[in-house]
Amino acid sequence: MKIKIDMKKFAAWFDDRLALTPIFKYMTHKEVPQHEHSFWYYTGSSILLFLAIQIVTGIMLALYYRPTLEGATASIERIMTELPLGWLVRSVHSWGATFMIAFVLVHLLAIWFTKSYRKPREATWMTGMMLLVVSMMFGFTGYLLPWDDLSLAATKVGTNIPAAIPVVGKWVTQFLRGGDDVTGDTLTRFFIFHVCVMPLILFAILAIHVLLVQKEGMSIPLKDELAKKKVPSLPFWPNFVLREVVIWLVLFGVFMTIALAFAPSLGPTADLMAPAPEGVKPEWYFLFLFQTLKIFPANMGPVTGEFVAVIIIVITVVIIFFLPFIDNKPEGKKGKVFQYLGIIGVIYAIVFSIWSLL
Amino acid sequence: MRTPRILFWLVTVSLLLGPLAAAAQQAGTPPEAKDKAQVEAAAAPAAPAQEAKPSPAPPAAKKPAAKAEVKRTEPIVPAYTGIKEKTAVIVFFVWLWFAIGVLIYFLRQWIKESDRIYWAKYYEPEESPRKDNPMAPTLGD
Repeated sequence: MKIKIDMKKFAAWFDDRLALTPIFKYMTHKEVPQHEHSFWYYTGSSILLFLAIQIVTGIMLALYYRPTLEGATASIERIMTELPLGWLVRSVHSWGATFMIAFVLVHLLAIWFTKSYRKPREATWMTGMMLLVVSMMFGFTGYLLPWDDLSLAATKVGTNIPAAIPVVGKWVTQFLRGGDDVTGDTLTRFFIFHVCVMPLILFAILAIHVLLVQKEGMSIPLKDELAKKKVPSLPFWPNFVLREVVIWLVLFGVFMTIALAFAPSLGPTADLMAPAPEGVKPEWYFLFLFQTLKIFPANMGPVTGEFVAVIIIVITVVIIFFLPFIDNKPEGKKGKVFQYLGIIGVIYAIVFSIWSLL
Repeated sequence: MRTPRILFWLVTVSLLLGPLAAAAQQAGTPPEAKDKAQVEAAAAPAAPAQEAKPSPAPPAAKKPAAKAEVKRTEPIVPAYTGIKEKTAVIVFFVWLWFAIGVLIYFLRQWIKESDRIYWAKYYEPEESPRKDNPMAPTLGD
Protein backbone atom coordinates (compact mmCIF):
# COMPACT_ATOMS: atom_id res chain seq x y z
CA MET A 1 0.00 0.00 0.00
CA LYS A 2 1.36 3.36 -0.99
CA ILE A 3 0.94 6.28 1.34
CA LYS A 4 0.97 9.56 -0.47
CA ILE A 5 1.91 12.57 1.62
CA ASP A 6 0.74 15.89 0.31
CA MET A 7 3.52 18.19 1.46
CA LYS A 8 1.54 21.30 0.58
CA LYS A 9 -1.32 20.25 2.83
CA PHE A 10 1.14 19.32 5.54
CA ALA A 11 2.80 22.75 5.34
CA ALA A 12 -0.58 24.48 5.25
CA TRP A 13 -1.64 22.64 8.41
CA PHE A 14 1.41 23.93 10.27
CA ASP A 15 1.02 27.40 8.83
CA ASP A 16 -2.60 27.48 9.97
CA ARG A 17 -1.66 26.70 13.55
CA LEU A 18 1.68 28.46 13.92
CA ALA A 19 1.11 31.40 11.55
CA LEU A 20 4.51 30.98 9.90
CA THR A 21 3.75 32.93 6.73
CA PRO A 22 3.89 36.38 8.38
CA ILE A 23 7.26 35.45 9.93
CA PHE A 24 8.69 34.34 6.57
CA LYS A 25 7.22 37.41 4.92
CA TYR A 26 8.84 39.60 7.55
CA MET A 27 12.20 37.87 7.05
CA THR A 28 12.11 38.43 3.30
CA HIS A 29 11.01 42.05 3.62
CA LYS A 30 13.34 43.01 6.45
CA GLU A 31 16.22 45.20 5.29
CA VAL A 32 19.65 45.70 6.83
CA PRO A 33 21.32 49.11 6.28
CA GLN A 34 24.73 49.08 4.60
CA HIS A 35 27.28 51.68 5.71
CA GLU A 36 30.82 51.96 7.06
CA HIS A 37 29.82 50.47 10.46
CA SER A 38 27.71 47.60 9.10
CA PHE A 39 30.41 45.12 10.10
CA TRP A 40 29.45 45.51 13.76
CA TYR A 41 26.00 44.08 13.04
CA TYR A 42 27.63 40.66 12.73
CA THR A 43 28.86 40.68 16.35
CA GLY A 44 25.29 40.23 17.60
CA SER A 45 24.60 37.07 15.63
CA SER A 46 28.07 35.70 16.47
CA ILE A 47 27.05 35.73 20.15
CA LEU A 48 24.14 33.46 19.25
CA LEU A 49 26.56 31.07 17.53
CA PHE A 50 28.63 30.74 20.70
CA LEU A 51 25.50 30.47 22.82
CA ALA A 52 24.40 27.50 20.69
CA ILE A 53 27.85 25.91 21.13
CA GLN A 54 27.60 26.44 24.90
CA ILE A 55 24.19 24.81 25.06
CA VAL A 56 25.25 21.73 23.07
CA THR A 57 28.57 21.18 24.88
CA GLY A 58 26.98 22.07 28.24
CA ILE A 59 24.38 19.33 27.82
CA MET A 60 27.12 16.87 26.83
CA LEU A 61 29.14 17.70 29.95
CA ALA A 62 26.07 17.64 32.21
CA LEU A 63 25.43 14.03 31.19
CA TYR A 64 28.57 12.98 33.08
CA TYR A 65 29.12 15.76 35.61
CA ARG A 66 28.24 15.17 39.28
CA PRO A 67 27.68 18.32 41.37
CA THR A 68 28.81 16.89 44.70
CA LEU A 69 31.85 17.43 46.85
CA GLU A 70 33.10 13.92 46.19
CA GLY A 71 31.99 13.58 42.58
CA ALA A 72 32.71 16.95 40.95
CA THR A 73 36.43 16.77 40.28
CA ALA A 74 36.32 13.00 39.79
CA SER A 75 33.66 13.35 37.09
CA ILE A 76 35.63 16.06 35.28
CA GLU A 77 38.70 13.85 35.55
CA ARG A 78 36.71 11.03 34.00
CA ILE A 79 35.41 13.28 31.23
CA MET A 80 38.99 14.31 30.45
CA THR A 81 40.71 10.96 30.63
CA GLU A 82 38.18 8.24 29.90
CA LEU A 83 35.40 9.50 27.67
CA PRO A 84 36.14 9.70 23.93
CA LEU A 85 37.12 13.30 23.14
CA GLY A 86 35.81 14.40 26.52
CA TRP A 87 38.75 16.77 26.99
CA LEU A 88 37.85 18.40 23.67
CA VAL A 89 34.19 18.88 24.63
CA ARG A 90 35.31 20.48 27.91
CA SER A 91 37.80 22.66 26.06
CA VAL A 92 35.12 23.77 23.57
CA HIS A 93 32.79 24.64 26.47
CA SER A 94 35.50 26.54 28.31
CA TRP A 95 36.66 28.48 25.24
CA GLY A 96 33.04 29.00 24.18
CA ALA A 97 32.43 30.96 27.37
CA THR A 98 35.48 33.12 26.66
CA PHE A 99 34.45 33.78 23.06
CA MET A 100 30.85 34.47 24.00
CA ILE A 101 31.70 37.03 26.66
CA ALA A 102 34.35 38.62 24.41
CA PHE A 103 31.77 39.05 21.66
CA VAL A 104 29.18 40.41 24.09
CA LEU A 105 31.74 43.03 25.18
CA VAL A 106 32.69 43.89 21.59
CA HIS A 107 29.00 44.13 20.66
CA LEU A 108 28.35 46.42 23.63
CA LEU A 109 31.31 48.66 22.78
CA ALA A 110 30.23 48.83 19.14
CA ILE A 111 26.77 49.99 20.24
CA TRP A 112 28.36 52.47 22.66
CA PHE A 113 30.72 54.05 20.11
CA THR A 114 28.16 54.17 17.29
CA LYS A 115 25.63 55.54 19.83
CA SER A 116 23.04 53.07 18.64
CA TYR A 117 21.42 53.12 22.09
CA ARG A 118 19.81 56.47 21.29
CA LYS A 119 16.05 56.84 21.08
CA PRO A 120 14.08 54.61 20.39
CA ARG A 121 16.52 51.80 21.32
CA GLU A 122 16.96 52.48 25.05
CA ALA A 123 15.25 49.26 26.10
CA THR A 124 17.38 47.25 23.63
CA TRP A 125 20.51 48.64 25.32
CA MET A 126 19.19 47.88 28.81
CA THR A 127 18.29 44.29 27.95
CA GLY A 128 21.71 43.96 26.32
CA MET A 129 23.36 45.11 29.54
CA MET A 130 21.33 42.54 31.46
CA LEU A 131 22.52 39.87 29.04
CA LEU A 132 26.14 40.92 29.68
CA VAL A 133 25.65 40.55 33.43
CA VAL A 134 23.91 37.18 32.98
CA SER A 135 26.74 35.97 30.69
CA MET A 136 29.30 36.97 33.32
CA MET A 137 27.28 35.20 36.00
CA PHE A 138 27.31 32.11 33.79
CA GLY A 139 31.09 32.36 33.74
CA PHE A 140 31.31 32.91 37.48
CA THR A 141 29.06 29.98 38.41
CA GLY A 142 30.71 27.70 35.85
CA TYR A 143 34.22 28.48 37.12
CA LEU A 144 33.61 26.66 40.42
CA LEU A 145 32.19 23.48 38.89
CA PRO A 146 35.53 21.66 38.23
CA TRP A 147 36.13 22.02 41.99
CA ASP A 148 39.89 22.39 41.77
CA ASP A 149 42.03 24.48 44.12
CA LEU A 150 42.03 27.62 41.97
CA SER A 151 38.29 27.61 41.33
CA LEU A 152 37.58 27.18 45.04
CA ALA A 153 39.87 30.05 46.03
CA ALA A 154 38.53 32.35 43.29
CA THR A 155 34.93 31.61 44.32
CA LYS A 156 35.78 32.34 47.96
CA VAL A 157 37.10 35.75 46.90
CA GLY A 158 34.24 36.39 44.47
CA THR A 159 31.41 35.47 46.83
CA ASN A 160 32.98 37.56 49.58
CA ILE A 161 32.76 40.79 47.55
CA PRO A 162 29.00 41.40 48.09
CA ALA A 163 29.60 41.15 51.86
CA ALA A 164 31.03 44.69 51.70
CA ILE A 165 27.62 46.10 50.74
CA PRO A 166 25.80 47.40 53.83
CA VAL A 167 22.55 45.83 55.08
CA VAL A 168 22.04 43.16 52.39
CA GLY A 169 25.68 42.29 51.63
CA LYS A 170 26.15 39.52 54.18
CA TRP A 171 22.83 37.98 53.25
CA VAL A 172 23.78 37.96 49.53
CA THR A 173 27.08 36.21 50.35
CA GLN A 174 25.29 33.63 52.49
CA PHE A 175 22.71 33.10 49.78
CA LEU A 176 25.40 32.57 47.13
CA ARG A 177 27.41 30.20 49.32
CA GLY A 178 24.54 28.36 50.93
CA GLY A 179 26.14 29.09 54.31
CA ASP A 180 28.96 31.05 55.85
CA ASP A 181 31.70 29.45 53.77
CA VAL A 182 32.18 27.87 50.34
CA THR A 183 31.29 24.19 50.76
CA GLY A 184 29.68 21.33 48.89
CA ASP A 185 26.37 23.18 49.21
CA THR A 186 27.88 26.09 47.26
CA LEU A 187 28.90 23.68 44.50
CA THR A 188 25.40 22.22 44.20
CA ARG A 189 23.91 25.71 44.33
CA PHE A 190 26.23 27.03 41.62
CA PHE A 191 25.45 24.03 39.43
CA ILE A 192 21.71 24.69 39.74
CA PHE A 193 22.27 28.40 38.98
CA HIS A 194 24.47 27.46 36.00
CA VAL A 195 22.18 24.90 34.37
CA CYS A 196 18.67 25.92 35.49
CA VAL A 197 18.30 29.45 36.81
CA MET A 198 20.67 31.36 34.55
CA PRO A 199 19.46 29.73 31.29
CA LEU A 200 15.85 30.63 32.17
CA ILE A 201 16.81 34.24 32.87
CA LEU A 202 19.01 34.38 29.77
CA PHE A 203 16.34 33.07 27.40
CA ALA A 204 13.68 35.38 28.81
CA ILE A 205 15.86 38.49 28.39
CA LEU A 206 17.24 37.31 25.05
CA ALA A 207 13.71 36.87 23.68
CA ILE A 208 12.84 40.47 24.64
CA HIS A 209 16.18 41.74 23.25
CA VAL A 210 15.74 40.00 19.89
CA LEU A 211 12.11 41.13 19.71
CA LEU A 212 13.17 44.74 20.31
CA VAL A 213 15.90 44.48 17.65
CA GLN A 214 13.27 43.24 15.18
CA LYS A 215 10.78 45.90 16.20
CA GLU A 216 13.13 48.87 15.92
CA GLY A 217 15.33 47.50 13.13
CA MET A 218 19.07 48.09 12.81
CA SER A 219 20.27 51.59 13.61
CA ILE A 220 22.04 53.75 11.05
CA PRO A 221 25.07 55.99 11.80
CA LEU A 222 24.21 59.11 13.78
CA LYS A 223 25.55 61.51 11.13
CA ASP A 224 23.40 59.90 8.43
CA GLU A 225 20.37 60.11 10.68
CA LEU A 226 20.97 63.78 11.39
CA ALA A 227 21.52 64.53 7.70
CA LYS A 228 18.35 62.51 6.93
CA LYS A 229 20.39 60.63 4.36
CA LYS A 230 18.88 57.55 2.78
CA VAL A 231 21.24 54.69 3.60
CA PRO A 232 21.36 51.82 1.11
CA SER A 233 20.24 48.48 2.48
CA LEU A 234 20.32 44.75 1.77
CA PRO A 235 17.53 42.21 2.30
CA PHE A 236 17.93 40.26 5.53
CA TRP A 237 17.19 37.06 3.63
CA PRO A 238 19.17 35.79 1.83
CA ASN A 239 21.81 38.51 1.29
CA PHE A 240 22.60 39.39 4.91
CA VAL A 241 22.08 35.93 6.39
CA LEU A 242 24.48 34.36 3.87
CA ARG A 243 27.15 36.89 4.81
CA GLU A 244 26.55 36.04 8.45
CA VAL A 245 27.01 32.34 7.73
CA VAL A 246 30.42 33.07 6.13
CA ILE A 247 31.49 34.92 9.29
CA TRP A 248 30.17 32.12 11.51
CA LEU A 249 32.13 29.52 9.56
CA VAL A 250 35.40 31.44 9.83
CA LEU A 251 34.79 32.13 13.52
CA PHE A 252 33.92 28.51 14.16
CA GLY A 253 37.14 27.38 12.46
CA VAL A 254 39.29 29.76 14.49
CA PHE A 255 37.44 28.85 17.67
CA MET A 256 37.85 25.09 17.15
CA THR A 257 41.54 25.52 16.33
CA ILE A 258 42.09 27.40 19.60
CA ALA A 259 40.00 24.88 21.57
CA LEU A 260 42.08 22.03 20.11
CA ALA A 261 45.44 23.68 20.62
CA PHE A 262 44.87 25.14 24.09
CA ALA A 263 42.66 22.71 25.99
CA PRO A 264 42.37 23.67 29.67
CA SER A 265 43.86 21.43 32.33
CA LEU A 266 42.30 20.44 35.64
CA GLY A 267 44.05 21.59 38.80
CA PRO A 268 44.51 19.57 42.00
CA THR A 269 41.32 18.67 43.86
CA ALA A 270 40.02 21.50 46.03
CA ASP A 271 40.75 21.14 49.71
CA LEU A 272 38.41 23.07 51.98
CA MET A 273 40.92 23.04 54.83
CA ALA A 274 43.97 24.04 52.78
CA PRO A 275 45.15 27.67 52.51
CA ALA A 276 44.47 29.47 49.24
CA PRO A 277 47.10 28.65 46.60
CA GLU A 278 49.34 31.38 45.27
CA GLY A 279 48.34 33.35 42.21
CA VAL A 280 44.58 33.04 42.57
CA LYS A 281 43.00 34.83 39.62
CA PRO A 282 39.43 35.04 38.42
CA GLU A 283 38.45 34.61 34.76
CA TRP A 284 39.93 37.23 32.40
CA TYR A 285 36.74 39.31 32.25
CA PHE A 286 36.82 39.86 36.02
CA LEU A 287 40.52 40.72 36.18
CA PHE A 288 40.14 44.51 36.04
CA LEU A 289 37.50 44.42 38.78
CA PHE A 290 39.75 42.17 40.85
CA GLN A 291 42.65 44.62 40.45
CA THR A 292 40.36 47.57 41.25
CA LEU A 293 39.44 45.94 44.55
CA LYS A 294 43.11 45.29 45.29
CA ILE A 295 44.29 48.89 44.90
CA PHE A 296 41.93 50.20 47.57
CA PRO A 297 43.44 50.38 51.08
CA ALA A 298 41.98 48.22 53.84
CA ASN A 299 40.36 51.18 55.62
CA MET A 300 39.20 54.54 54.30
CA GLY A 301 38.06 56.51 57.30
CA PRO A 302 34.97 55.02 58.88
CA VAL A 303 34.43 52.46 56.08
CA THR A 304 36.50 49.72 54.49
CA GLY A 305 38.27 50.20 51.17
CA GLU A 306 36.42 47.23 49.74
CA PHE A 307 33.11 48.92 50.53
CA VAL A 308 34.16 52.09 48.64
CA ALA A 309 35.35 50.01 45.66
CA VAL A 310 32.11 48.01 45.53
CA ILE A 311 30.01 51.18 45.73
CA ILE A 312 32.02 52.79 42.88
CA ILE A 313 31.61 49.65 40.74
CA VAL A 314 27.86 49.46 41.43
CA ILE A 315 27.37 53.17 40.59
CA THR A 316 29.36 52.74 37.35
CA VAL A 317 27.23 49.75 36.32
CA VAL A 318 24.02 51.67 37.08
CA ILE A 319 25.25 54.66 35.01
CA ILE A 320 26.10 52.38 32.08
CA PHE A 321 22.71 50.67 32.41
CA PHE A 322 20.87 54.00 32.14
CA LEU A 323 23.31 55.45 29.59
CA PRO A 324 20.67 56.10 26.87
CA PHE A 325 18.80 58.38 29.28
CA ILE A 326 21.91 60.14 30.59
CA ASP A 327 23.46 60.61 27.14
CA ASN A 328 20.15 61.81 25.69
CA LYS A 329 21.74 64.24 23.22
CA PRO A 330 24.39 62.05 21.56
CA GLU A 331 25.06 64.59 18.79
CA GLY A 332 26.03 67.32 21.28
CA LYS A 333 28.92 67.92 23.71
CA LYS A 334 27.49 65.45 26.21
CA GLY A 335 27.63 62.76 23.56
CA LYS A 336 31.32 63.44 22.96
CA VAL A 337 32.03 63.28 26.71
CA PHE A 338 30.51 59.80 26.87
CA GLN A 339 32.47 58.80 23.78
CA TYR A 340 35.72 59.75 25.55
CA LEU A 341 34.55 58.11 28.79
CA GLY A 342 34.02 54.91 26.83
CA ILE A 343 37.57 55.06 25.45
CA ILE A 344 38.96 55.75 28.94
CA GLY A 345 36.94 52.81 30.29
CA VAL A 346 38.36 50.43 27.69
CA ILE A 347 41.94 51.59 28.36
CA TYR A 348 41.33 51.26 32.11
CA ALA A 349 40.00 47.70 31.76
CA ILE A 350 42.93 46.63 29.56
CA VAL A 351 45.61 48.25 31.75
CA PHE A 352 44.15 46.89 35.00
CA SER A 353 43.70 43.41 33.54
CA ILE A 354 47.35 43.33 32.45
CA TRP A 355 48.43 44.76 35.82
CA SER A 356 46.63 42.01 37.71
CA LEU A 357 48.46 39.38 35.66
CA LEU A 358 51.91 40.80 36.45
CA MET B 1 21.23 29.82 -9.48
CA ARG B 2 19.52 26.53 -8.80
CA THR B 3 22.58 24.33 -9.45
CA PRO B 4 24.95 25.99 -6.95
CA ARG B 5 22.19 26.01 -4.35
CA ILE B 6 21.55 22.29 -4.73
CA LEU B 7 25.31 21.67 -4.65
CA PHE B 8 25.59 23.82 -1.53
CA TRP B 9 22.98 21.81 0.35
CA LEU B 10 24.41 18.49 -0.88
CA VAL B 11 27.88 19.44 0.32
CA THR B 12 26.55 20.86 3.60
CA VAL B 13 24.50 17.78 4.40
CA SER B 14 27.27 15.35 3.50
CA LEU B 15 29.91 17.32 5.36
CA LEU B 16 27.73 17.49 8.44
CA LEU B 17 26.39 13.96 8.41
CA GLY B 18 29.68 12.22 7.67
CA PRO B 19 31.55 13.22 10.81
CA LEU B 20 28.39 13.03 12.89
CA ALA B 21 27.93 9.40 11.89
CA ALA B 22 31.60 8.72 12.63
CA ALA B 23 31.29 10.44 16.01
CA ALA B 24 28.17 8.44 16.84
CA GLN B 25 29.98 5.24 15.95
CA GLN B 26 32.94 6.27 18.06
CA ALA B 27 30.70 7.15 21.01
CA GLY B 28 28.92 3.81 20.74
CA THR B 29 32.08 1.78 21.17
CA PRO B 30 33.33 1.47 24.72
CA PRO B 31 36.68 3.12 25.36
CA GLU B 32 39.49 0.71 24.86
CA ALA B 33 41.68 -0.42 27.69
CA LYS B 34 44.03 2.29 26.65
CA ASP B 35 46.92 4.12 28.18
CA LYS B 36 46.19 2.96 31.68
CA ALA B 37 49.56 4.21 32.73
CA GLN B 38 48.76 7.70 31.44
CA VAL B 39 45.44 7.80 33.26
CA GLU B 40 47.12 6.44 36.36
CA ALA B 41 49.91 8.97 36.29
CA ALA B 42 47.51 11.81 35.73
CA ALA B 43 44.99 10.65 38.28
CA ALA B 44 46.98 10.11 41.45
CA PRO B 45 50.46 8.77 41.93
CA ALA B 46 49.73 8.08 45.56
CA ALA B 47 46.28 6.69 44.97
CA PRO B 48 46.27 3.16 43.61
CA ALA B 49 42.55 2.93 44.38
CA GLN B 50 41.80 5.15 41.37
CA GLU B 51 43.57 2.87 38.92
CA ALA B 52 40.68 0.54 38.30
CA LYS B 53 38.31 2.19 35.86
CA PRO B 54 37.27 -0.65 33.60
CA SER B 55 33.64 0.33 33.09
CA PRO B 56 32.79 3.24 30.80
CA ALA B 57 30.00 4.30 33.16
CA PRO B 58 30.75 3.51 36.79
CA PRO B 59 27.77 4.33 39.03
CA ALA B 60 28.79 7.06 41.44
CA ALA B 61 26.57 6.00 44.31
CA LYS B 62 28.00 2.49 44.50
CA LYS B 63 31.63 3.62 44.83
CA PRO B 64 33.12 3.07 48.25
CA ALA B 65 33.38 6.27 50.27
CA ALA B 66 37.09 5.82 50.94
CA LYS B 67 37.82 5.90 47.24
CA ALA B 68 36.08 9.23 46.75
CA GLU B 69 37.98 10.85 49.58
CA VAL B 70 41.36 10.38 47.92
CA LYS B 71 42.66 13.83 46.98
CA ARG B 72 44.46 14.31 43.70
CA THR B 73 47.37 16.69 44.12
CA GLU B 74 48.71 16.72 40.56
CA PRO B 75 46.94 18.63 37.76
CA ILE B 76 45.51 16.71 34.83
CA VAL B 77 46.78 17.89 31.49
CA PRO B 78 44.49 17.12 28.55
CA ALA B 79 46.00 14.53 26.28
CA TYR B 80 45.00 12.10 23.55
CA THR B 81 43.92 8.78 25.02
CA GLY B 82 45.54 6.86 22.18
CA ILE B 83 46.73 6.96 18.60
CA LYS B 84 43.17 6.37 17.39
CA GLU B 85 41.91 9.51 19.10
CA LYS B 86 44.91 11.53 17.94
CA THR B 87 44.33 10.48 14.32
CA ALA B 88 40.61 11.22 14.66
CA VAL B 89 41.33 14.72 15.93
CA ILE B 90 43.85 15.48 13.16
CA VAL B 91 41.42 14.18 10.51
CA PHE B 92 38.63 16.22 12.07
CA PHE B 93 40.79 19.34 12.09
CA VAL B 94 41.76 18.97 8.41
CA TRP B 95 38.15 18.13 7.49
CA LEU B 96 36.88 21.15 9.41
CA TRP B 97 38.97 23.68 7.49
CA PHE B 98 38.39 21.89 4.19
CA ALA B 99 34.61 21.95 4.83
CA ILE B 100 34.76 25.62 5.79
CA GLY B 101 36.67 26.42 2.58
CA VAL B 102 34.22 24.51 0.38
CA LEU B 103 31.17 26.00 2.07
CA ILE B 104 32.53 29.53 1.83
CA TYR B 105 33.19 29.00 -1.89
CA PHE B 106 29.55 28.00 -2.48
CA LEU B 107 28.26 30.72 -0.17
CA ARG B 108 30.18 33.34 -2.15
CA GLN B 109 28.49 32.17 -5.35
CA TRP B 110 25.13 32.34 -3.65
CA ILE B 111 25.82 35.82 -2.21
CA LYS B 112 26.95 37.14 -5.59
CA GLU B 113 23.82 35.79 -7.23
CA SER B 114 21.53 37.12 -4.49
CA ASP B 115 23.14 40.57 -4.70
CA ARG B 116 22.91 40.60 -8.50
CA ILE B 117 19.21 39.76 -8.34
CA TYR B 118 18.60 42.35 -5.65
CA TRP B 119 20.43 45.21 -7.35
CA ALA B 120 18.75 44.34 -10.65
CA LYS B 121 15.44 44.76 -8.75
CA TYR B 122 14.42 41.41 -10.08
CA TYR B 123 11.67 40.92 -7.51
CA GLU B 124 10.20 44.39 -7.84
CA PRO B 125 7.61 44.26 -10.61
CA GLU B 126 7.60 48.03 -11.18
CA GLU B 127 11.32 48.26 -11.88
CA SER B 128 11.99 44.71 -12.89
CA PRO B 129 14.42 44.22 -15.79
CA ARG B 130 11.79 41.92 -17.25
CA LYS B 131 9.60 44.93 -17.85
CA ASP B 132 11.94 46.29 -20.50
CA ASN B 133 13.79 43.16 -21.42
CA PRO B 134 11.64 40.43 -22.91
CA MET B 135 14.66 38.07 -22.94
CA ALA B 136 15.11 38.21 -19.16
CA PRO B 137 14.26 34.96 -17.34
CA THR B 138 10.95 34.68 -15.54
CA LEU B 139 10.69 33.76 -11.87
CA GLY B 140 9.68 30.22 -12.72
CA ASP B 141 12.95 29.47 -14.58
